[in-house]
Amino acid sequence: MNLTHCLLLASFLFCVGVYGLLTRRQAVAVLLALELMMNAANLAFVAFAHFRGGPGQLFVVFALAITVAEVAIGLALVMLLYRRHDDTALDRASETQG
Amino acid sequence: MSHLLAWIVAAPAIAAAVLLVLPASARLPIRVVSLIGAVVACAGSVLVALTYDRVAGGMQMPDDWALVPSLGIHLKLAVDGWGVALLLLTGVIIVTGVLASWGVEKRGKEFFLLLLVLVSGVFGVFVSQDLFVFFLFYEIAVLPMYLLIGIWGASHDVPKRGPFGFAWKRFAVGGKEYAAMKLTLMLLVGSAAILVAMFLLWKEAGGTSFDLAHLEQTKFSLATQNWAFPLLWLGFGTLAGVFPFHTWSPDGHASAPTAVSMLHAGVLMKLGAFGVMRVGMVLCPDAAANWAWLVGGVAVINVLYGALCAASQTDLKYIIAYSSVSHMGIVMLGAATLTTTGWNGAVYQMFAHGIMTGLFFALVGLVYERAHTRAIAKMGGFGHVMPAVACFFTLACLSSLGLPGTAGFVAEFLVFLGAAEGAHSWWAVPAVIGAVVTAVYVLRACKTIFWGPPPTGEFAHLTDARSTEWAAPIVLGAALILFGFWPRFLLDFIDVASHTFLARIAPFS
Amino acid sequence: MSSLQSWAALAVLVPLAAALLCVVLPPLRRAGKPAAALCILASLVATAASIYLLTQHEAGAVTRTEVPWIVLGGKALASIGVNVDGVSVVMLLVVCVVALCVQVFSLAYMHDETPSSYGRYFTLHALFLFSMNTLVVAPNLLQLFAGWELVGLTSYLLIGFWFHKPSAARASVKAFWMTKLADMGFVFALLALFVATRGFDWNARLSTETATLVTALLFLAVVGKSAQFPLHVWLPDAMEGPTPVSALLHAATMVAAGVFLIVRADPLFAQAPATCEVMLWVGSITALFAACLALVQSDIKKVLAYSTCSQLGYMVAALGAGSAFAGFFHLGTHAFFKALLFLGAGSVIHAVHSNELADMGGLRRKMPVTTLTFGIGALSLAGVPGLAGFFSKDFVLAQLEGKAGWIPWTMLMATSFLTAFYMGRVLIKAFGGAESAKAHHAHESGGAMLLPLVVLAVPALAAGFLGGVLAEWSGAEYHVHLGLTPVVASCLAIAGLLGAVMVFGRGRAAPFAGVLESLDRASAVDRTWSGLYRHVLLGVSAVAGFVDRYFVDGLINAVGYTTIESGARVRRLQTGRIHDYAMAVVVGALLIALWGVLR
Repeated sequence: MNLTHCLLLASFLFCVGVYGLLTRRQAVAVLLALELMMNAANLAFVAFAHFRGGPGQLFVVFALAITVAEVAIGLALVMLLYRRHDDTALDRASETQG
Repeated sequence: MSHLLAWIVAAPAIAAAVLLVLPASARLPIRVVSLIGAVVACAGSVLVALTYDRVAGGMQMPDDWALVPSLGIHLKLAVDGWGVALLLLTGVIIVTGVLASWGVEKRGKEFFLLLLVLVSGVFGVFVSQDLFVFFLFYEIAVLPMYLLIGIWGASHDVPKRGPFGFAWKRFAVGGKEYAAMKLTLMLLVGSAAILVAMFLLWKEAGGTSFDLAHLEQTKFSLATQNWAFPLLWLGFGTLAGVFPFHTWSPDGHASAPTAVSMLHAGVLMKLGAFGVMRVGMVLCPDAAANWAWLVGGVAVINVLYGALCAASQTDLKYIIAYSSVSHMGIVMLGAATLTTTGWNGAVYQMFAHGIMTGLFFALVGLVYERAHTRAIAKMGGFGHVMPAVACFFTLACLSSLGLPGTAGFVAEFLVFLGAAEGAHSWWAVPAVIGAVVTAVYVLRACKTIFWGPPPTGEFAHLTDARSTEWAAPIVLGAALILFGFWPRFLLDFIDVASHTFLARIAPFS
Repeated sequence: MSSLQSWAALAVLVPLAAALLCVVLPPLRRAGKPAAALCILASLVATAASIYLLTQHEAGAVTRTEVPWIVLGGKALASIGVNVDGVSVVMLLVVCVVALCVQVFSLAYMHDETPSSYGRYFTLHALFLFSMNTLVVAPNLLQLFAGWELVGLTSYLLIGFWFHKPSAARASVKAFWMTKLADMGFVFALLALFVATRGFDWNARLSTETATLVTALLFLAVVGKSAQFPLHVWLPDAMEGPTPVSALLHAATMVAAGVFLIVRADPLFAQAPATCEVMLWVGSITALFAACLALVQSDIKKVLAYSTCSQLGYMVAALGAGSAFAGFFHLGTHAFFKALLFLGAGSVIHAVHSNELADMGGLRRKMPVTTLTFGIGALSLAGVPGLAGFFSKDFVLAQLEGKAGWIPWTMLMATSFLTAFYMGRVLIKAFGGAESAKAHHAHESGGAMLLPLVVLAVPALAAGFLGGVLAEWSGAEYHVHLGLTPVVASCLAIAGLLGAVMVFGRGRAAPFAGVLESLDRASAVDRTWSGLYRHVLLGVSAVAGFVDRYFVDGLINAVGYTTIESGARVRRLQTGRIHDYAMAVVVGALLIALWGVLR
């Protein structure tokens, strides 16, 4: 197993995340897709740190902390959405349209 | 007295600050405080005129405080001959303006507060010797206008037709909010142009100082000047009502309340012309000479076109507003001649027109308050019930058409002379014709409103001016005649400054 | 300042002081009689000063005092002051005497006015006297122009004195506009003169072209002020003012200011033969044309107004012929007899309460003094030998002998006949014949009105004999000679009067009255001017107003509209759906990546 394999995996995960982001309509699923993309990046960080050295691991710790915060806010938003629309479908939340 | 100029600028602002802490219900104290602020500034201006050494000329009574030393921004105040004349004008107009708006009932506190802030800015512009501070005061003078017109103004109907009728479907044309918005937006676009030119000049002068004296000593390259001058001309010119950027003026002046119209047409439009001359022409002398044909040509259009437009109006305030467009054309024409005679005439016209149009708007406000209409076709015979108003209105008309013995004559005649001896003698021809058209529209308005059989029905019981309303007609009317018979008092100030400034341009024209 | 100039300055400033007092002290003005007394006192002082000046004046002497008025760069650009010479001294006397007579006459004539309006009337008279004297003693053309405009202002205010009458309001603005239009010429002349000489002196030496330009422009102003064809249309309308005002402003002094200007600026006009040629023709045409119209007027004041136009035509023609003195001499005698005629007409109007000749008739028995003095004025105007009008008119005609192929001379001779004819008509219709209904109750006016008539009748009778003295003062040549002109002129004057007796004495209409009346009604000139005003000026201004509101302002509103509209379009991109934004982010990221790979 070398760096290429790891990066290929990370890319694959990322693409899955993007696909999920663009196609899923439920807010929770979108959040999951976002987490997937985030973790793909984390994986790349760790892979680089392992094969090339550098402060990648440190970034991952930061990223995880931020992810936690993000999930907290995201889930809170999902709750609000649900209260407002009795549903978590994102395309119903388009009040900000111009 | 030290820091006299600073006190003049600060007096209205301090009065405004005092108003802030007064309760809105204190009707009389609010007016008295405003009047005190205005009178102190006016007295200061008179004091400046009395102590200014008009033989020596130049910048006098300097004051200097550093504001942003790293960028070279100083609160630097000093006064030159032009400044003296315009300080006097502003002082007289604000005092009479406060007295003329004694009866404003709606949100009186805020009205006087904004009026005082505005006039503080005007005073600031006339004494600033730092371009940045000049611009700052300029904006302070322009912006309160939005609220003053938008809140205290009056609306009227404009038929939405013509080739651009579609554009009006969106706007409440004729409304006070529309007038206020148009005025503010057009002047802000002008300010943007000024800002660009300002930084252009600042950068080329080394980027260390906005001091006007420093900028004057810098020899700007022709390319910079050729960019900066048109920007300054259009930017300041918008406020001076330069064609075709004058259209904020009729709507704005017609919608504005009395004192605001007085201040705006009487003083603010002069800020524009003053900016073109003091900043544009003095800092960019080569470009001023290059572009003189355009500045003068447009000014000639202003004079004739403004007069013709005024002749077609049926609303009293519009007539006066368009006459301002026409008369500001005379100011710009005098400036474009690049001769001392023309420049003296231009600054004298600023003063004369300020007084004259202040008088006009004060009287129009008086008539409007009583008759509740501005359509001159509905009026008639008012001379029987308000003889004093009729007399003073006639006097303003006479100054407007340049009758000898009024300040308007001295100003217009000097501009005509300057035009005739300048590089483009033909400018004098349409300018003089414009004065004749002026005679047509002002006297027709005068005849329709004041002459004819005594009014009947709703107008039968109109009254003449009362108590504080007398201030504006008497003071401004007397000034028109005084400065018509005795021009030297002002011309000595103006002339010494014109000579200094023109010395920079003379080699190029 | 020598004592002479102080006296001249006094004649200017005392009326100003009186007017100012009346203006700044409203109670004084509103009291009426005290204001009148003050103004008449001022006129008395001015008259006394002018008489003293006349007695002290040495023939041919010119003294002048100027103080700087507009100073630029340490040099006087314009100055004001007094100029005392033969012309100004005589003119000052004429103006002051006539003004004093008219004001005394007005005391009684205007007594029906309310006190405040009575005071206003006399204030305006004092203002007029100040303005006119400013003009007369002006040491340069700029001050003359200032006086010129100020008399125009007082004329405007006095024509519109009864401002409740719409016709008076119309007439006053018309008078102001017509003269203001012509005054453009004066302004341009001042500008041209200033550019050429850096001054406003009428003694300047100019090149022929400049002199022609300046004088032609000045003459344009004269055509307006002195009511010459084709700008004469305001003068008949100006009769809307009170009759004493017509006597003073619109007959004796103000309208003569134009002629005075040419006399004053004679050194300039002498350098411009082309302008003089034009003046000769304009003067002759006006004289004849206005005399024809005077023949068919039914309003006694309008007869006199057209007669004034006609007589001013004589003066202008004389000046065109190169004789400033002839024009000035006729100006002087005309001022007296025409003021007399107008005041006489005022006395009649006061008695019968009508301007119409048809309402008069048979007044000779009721109003003997008025009849006598009016008769003297009429005969003097008609040019009956021995009276003042005869001498000056004869001298004018003598100057025209042989000029331009005798045509102007012939025209003015014809005018002489017509003048006698129409004055005969007025005499017969107003004072002769049977009494009309209105005339039945008429009675002679009081002393305050008769005194000025008698005083003015003296110079109307005898001023002609002063020609020699006047000429000596002005440094001109004057001699009465018995030749073709006086004989023909006398014969024509007498023939005209006899003709009037033959025609009107028997109650007939004037020959060709139909033609002339249609000429007057159609008043082609007047209609042209009102058409120009209504259709051209107001038309162009309506177009300008429309263009400004709907095109210039429209364009600026269109800019605002475009901004708002394009904003409205662009904002549709903001769908508010998260997936659209996410898609945009992804596509954007891909594009950036692609750009990174490809470069």
